[in-house]
Amino acid sequence: MSENAFPLSKDKLLEAYRIMRTIREFEERLHVDFARGDIPGFVHLYAGEEATAAGIMMHLNDNDRIASTHRGHGHCIAKGVDVKEMMAEIYGKVTGSCRGKGGSMHIADLSKGMMGANGILGAGAPLACGAALAAQKLGHKGVGICFVGDGASNQGMFLESLNLAAVWNLPAIFVVENNGYAESTSVEWAVASDSYVDRATGFGLPGITVDGTDFFAVYEAAGEIIKRAREGGGPSLLECKMVRFHGHFEGDAQTYRAKGELEDIRANNDCIKLFQARVREAGLLSAAEMERIDGAVARLIDEAVAEAKAAALPNARDLLTDVYVGY
Amino acid sequence: MAGPVVGVIANPVSARDIRRVIAHAGSLQVTDRANIVLRILAGLAAVGIRQVVMMPENAGIRTHLARAMMRAKNTGEARFPDLSFLDMKVTGQAADSAIAARMMRKLEVAAIIVLGGDGTHRVVVSECGDIPIAGVSSGTNNAFPDTREPTVTGLGVGLAVTGVVPASAAFVANKRLEVVINGRREIALVDVAIVEERFVGSRAIWKTEGFRELFVTFAEPGGIGMSSIVGFLAPVKRSSPYGRRVIFARRDSAPTLLMAPIAPGLIEPVGVERIETIDLDKPMPLTVSAGSIALDGEREVTFSEVDSISVTLRNAAFRTIDIAACMAHAAAQGSFVEPVGKQENRQQGGCQ
Repeated sequence: MSENAFPLSKDKLLEAYRIMRTIREFEERLHVDFARGDIPGFVHLYAGEEATAAGIMMHLNDNDRIASTHRGHGHCIAKGVDVKEMMAEIYGKVTGSCRGKGGSMHIADLSKGMMGANGILGAGAPLACGAALAAQKLGHKGVGICFVGDGASNQGMFLESLNLAAVWNLPAIFVVENNGYAESTSVEWAVASDSYVDRATGFGLPGITVDGTDFFAVYEAAGEIIKRAREGGGPSLLECKMVRFHGHFEGDAQTYRAKGELEDIRANNDCIKLFQARVREAGLLSAAEMERIDGAVARLIDEAVAEAKAAALPNARDLLTDVYVGY
Repeated sequence: MAGPVVGVIANPVSARDIRRVIAHAGSLQVTDRANIVLRILAGLAAVGIRQVVMMPENAGIRTHLARAMMRAKNTGEARFPDLSFLDMKVTGQAADSAIAARMMRKLEVAAIIVLGGDGTHRVVVSECGDIPIAGVSSGTNNAFPDTREPTVTGLGVGLAVTGVVPASAAFVANKRLEVVINGRREIALVDVAIVEERFVGSRAIWKTEGFRELFVTFAEPGGIGMSSIVGFLAPVKRSSPYGRRVIFARRDSAPTLLMAPIAPGLIEPVGVERIETIDLDKPMPLTVSAGSIALDGEREVTFSEVDSISVTLRNAAFRTIDIAACMAHAAAQGSFVEPVGKQENRQQGGCQ
C-alpha cells in the first residue's frame, strides 16, 4: 500500500479522532450540566456533526479564518481554541476566552483564526468574505470560511456574500451544515431553491454536496476546495449533509422529529462510530489507541468543568471593557 | 389502467459531487431537471402513453412539475399523461433510485426512463430486472446514457412500449460487470476501476497515480470517463461478446503513456501496463489486495487482504430501448405522418 492509500498519516488520524471525541464529550457534558441549571444563557450543541468540523479544520492553519454560528463549539474546538477557556466562557467566568462576557454564542480567539461564534444567522458569511479579501490582499494564501445552517442560508447577507465572493474571486468557502432542520422547520419546507448547489451555480461558483457524517468524505472534498481557494481558484460552496443529536437548543422538546428518528441516527449515522469502524477495519488505529484518547478527553473535560466552576464571575465594573478589539 | 405505464426516475442527488470542483462537471439545476421530465412527458403523451409513475423526491422536481402541469391544464394544453408518484419514503440518497426501480418492477411498468449519468443508471439497473430502461444523459459522467433531446426519448419509449415498434427492433440486450465481494453482488454498466485509496471519501476517482486495474463492458474512442482509456487503445462495442481489462503502471515506467478524458473536464496522463480481453461468465480475481472498488466512476466499496473478490462479465444482463432504432422504424412506417385535414382534430396520444 502506498502513502496515497489513506489521505492522513496515523498521527493525523489520531488527531482527527481526538478532535471529534473532544467535541462530543464537551457537548454531552454541557447537555447534562445545562439541564442541571449550572450554566447561564443558552447553548446549541454540535454533537453528531463532529466529522464536518474536523474534516474541514484539519486543512487549516492560524492564517485561515473561520466565522462560526450559534452552534459553534465544534468549530472552535476543531480550530484549536482552548477547551478550558471555552468551558469557562460558557460558564460566564473571567477565565473564559472572552472573559466571561460572550458566552456560548460569542466564543472567539483571533490568534487561532476563530473570528467568533455568532448569534446572528448568516452573519458569518460577509465576515468570511472580509477575511478572504484580507488574505487575498496580503497574499499569504489564507482562506476565509463561514459556516451556516440550512436555515441561515436563506438570509440575504449569505446570498450577497456568495455574489461578492464570486465577483472578487475571493478565497472564500461557504459551508452549509445541513442537519435537516432550521430550528424546528424541516429543510423541505424552508429552502425554496431546493438545492444549495443550485444556489452556488446561480452565483457562478461551484457547489458540491458531501456526506457530512463521513469524516473522509468531508476531509477529501474540503482539501480540494481549500487548495483551490489558496491557489486563486476562487470560492466554493460545500454542503455537508449531517445529523444533530440534540434539539435546536437545550430544552427543545423536538416534537417535530419523527418517532424513532433520534434513536435511528444515533445508531446508524454517528460520525464517530463510522470513523472508528473505518480505521479499525483498515487496520490503521486500534481500539486501545482510541480508548486512550477517550480517557484523556474525559479527563480534560472534567478538569475544564471543575476549573470553570471554581473561577470567578466578571465584576460589574468590567462591563464596558473588552467591547472592541484593536487591530 | 389505460395502456402501458411508463416509470420515470429523476433523482435530484445525481450530479452533485466533487467533480464540480476538481474539474468543471455540470450542475444541472432542479428546474432544468423538471423541464426535462416535462419534455419526456410531452413525448410520451404524443404517442399515446396515458399513465406515468415517478419516483418521489423532496428537492423540488415534483413541485415544479405540478405547477407546470396545472398551468397547462388551465390553458387547455392537455398534453401530459396522468402523473402519479410511488408511495415510498424519500431519503434524499442515491438509494431512493434503487427503491423506486424495485417498486416499478413490481408494478410491471413497461419501461423506466432514467435521468442521470452512469452512477444513477447503475443503481436503477441493479433493481429493475427485465424492465427495459432508456437513459437521459444528465449526470456527471455520461458514458452509458445517450445524449439526446428528452422529447425524442419520450417519443421513442412510447413507440417501443405501445408496440408501434416491434420488440426485436426496440429493445437491446446489454452487458454488465458483476463484482462479488464476500458473496455480496454489486454491478457496473460501463467500468469497474480498482484504485489504491482505502476509503470511499468523496467517491469520484481522479488521482491517476492511484489507478491499479480497470474492467470495461464497452469502450468507445469518443467516450468519457475511465472507459475512454480502453476506447483509445482497444475499443470494444456495446454488442461485442467480450470486454477488456487494463492493468495500470506507474507513469514513469509504463510501456504506454496515454492522455485520456477520465472525467468531464479532466484530461490526464495514465500509465498502462497492458490490456487484455475478458470473456463472458468467467470470474476474475483482482491483481491487487487492498484498495477500493469504483463502480462506473464512483468509489463504492473498500477491501483488504481478507476479502474475497471476483469480477465477471455477463451478457444480456439487462435491456435498454434503442431510441434511434425506434424513431427510424416509426419514421419508415410513416407513423408520424397525419392524414391531410386531420391536424385540427388531433387528440392527445395521436400516433397513427
